[in-house]
Amino acid sequence: MNPLPARPLPRPTTWSAPFWEAAKQGRLSIQVCNSCQKPIMYPKQFCPGCLSDDLGWMTSQGHGEVYTFTVQERGAPTGFADCVPYVLAVIRLDEGVQLLSNIVGEGAINISCGDRVSVEFMTISGSDFALPVFRRDTAE
Amino acid sequence: MKAPSAVVGIGEVPTGRYPERSDLEAAVTACRAAILDAGLSPRDIDVVMPTGALASSHFNVDLVFSRLCEELGLLRSAKMNVQVMAGGASSSAMLTLASALVATGSARTVLVVHADSIGSLPPQRGIDLFATTGVSEEWEAPYGHNMNAVGAMVSQRYMYETGTTEEELASVCVALRSWAVLNPNAMFRNPLTVEEVLASKMVATPLRSKQCNMLADGASAFIVARPDDARTMTDTPVYVRGHGSLVTHYSMSQDVDLANLGFRDAARQAYEQAGLTPGDIDVAEIYDAYPVFPLISMDALGLCGDERAGTFIAAGNTLPGGPMPMTTNGGMLSQGHTGAGGGVAVLVEAFRQLMGKAGERQVPNVVNAVETASGGTWMDSHVTILSREAR
Repeated sequence: MNPLPARPLPRPTTWSAPFWEAAKQGRLSIQVCNSCQKPIMYPKQFCPGCLSDDLGWMTSQGHGEVYTFTVQERGAPTGFADCVPYVLAVIRLDEGVQLLSNIVGEGAINISCGDRVSVEFMTISGSDFALPVFRRDTAE
Repeated sequence: MKAPSAVVGIGEVPTGRYPERSDLEAAVTACRAAILDAGLSPRDIDVVMPTGALASSHFNVDLVFSRLCEELGLLRSAKMNVQVMAGGASSSAMLTLASALVATGSARTVLVVHADSIGSLPPQRGIDLFATTGVSEEWEAPYGHNMNAVGAMVSQRYMYETGTTEEELASVCVALRSWAVLNPNAMFRNPLTVEEVLASKMVATPLRSKQCNMLADGASAFIVARPDDARTMTDTPVYVRGHGSLVTHYSMSQDVDLANLGFRDAARQAYEQAGLTPGDIDVAEIYDAYPVFPLISMDALGLCGDERAGTFIAAGNTLPGGPMPMTTNGGMLSQGHTGAGGGVAVLVEAFRQLMGKAGERQVPNVVNAVETASGGTWMDSHVTILSREAR
């Protein structure tokens, strides 16, 4: 039997490499414009607010809420056939930027819009990439 | 405002799985039908404007490099062959650009065409192809993102904000199918019920298999001319009265209002330019691909009275014989999704209804129609208003 096809890995650029390096160290980084202070997601070459090339980084607190989500049960793209069901979600971080991610952990498939979530990092097997993923916060 | 352009001819080949029909054959057949429908000869065409094809890169390159001019007898008469590609929004984008060409005098006639055969791709290749169209390779593909998930996540947010139910979402598919039953060019022509939709297999919550479009082979074409010339070409010119559009994102995760997209802005611009209001619209030809998008579009267009689009459509208002006929070719959910051409087929259906050529599914007394389109992961929202009246 042939091995399952591998899932696609991120291909970092010169301007996104710091994001992936931070992820390996367990930090969720958000690019910030040093000219207009705009937080930027996804990382860019120039600030989409003012086109400045003076960009830096901040570390996200790692908390946010589920803007929307889906539980993928069938029809997954190549590399994800053995992952179903898996949860895709758009996360609104408390810092005001959004990103696509997966919801993981117990109860992931019962997630709802508006649920509070926190980041953790998942290593893609066979690679040294750490993907930021999110888990639903447990009720206080 | 005086209409900048008019559409004078349309052509289409049946949509479905036609592995024995080449892309070129489909394209040339649709173009020939449009030229003959307009009462023109090939050398009357100044500009050939194909949109992008996804299944065969060789055929797409042929489209870029004037293959259609050679096949249709336009050599040494056509002024320009230019590809315009905006994914699913190509319909509205091509109409807008072709209108500008005739309005500025750069061309007297523009032949707009789409042909593709993504329905004949192996199913996993189809899934993977649409996992790259507007999906970021670096930021989204590593999570297993794909087009059905895009439709699903927009549905989820729309339902959360509006209270729309799964039954209402399913009723969109049923309404579209009831039109496709009357459409000989549609891929799916057997009637469908809400129960059947809700019993189909879950793909990506809340979307089940019958709420996900089916990839298909197809081709359609239309001809844009100057309004002054249009009357001499055809008895049934369709005038382009208004257009509005807005780009909201590249990757859907960056859109801040997925329950509305950009359709409210686009609709306001289009109505204003046309000098018309929602009450003037007789038929709505709405880009679908997934049932939530007609809901978002119909809400934004103000075509559901005081109701939410979900309750309005579930009550049967958009069915054949109903007060607000919607997507009368069956849309991509029933006619079939041909790639960039899914929207072109919806636009051609708007022309067909306004020309009175829709056969069994002709809506009586159509004067004004609205058409919508969107590309990629609903990266943009287009609204176009068309009329039998020049102003």
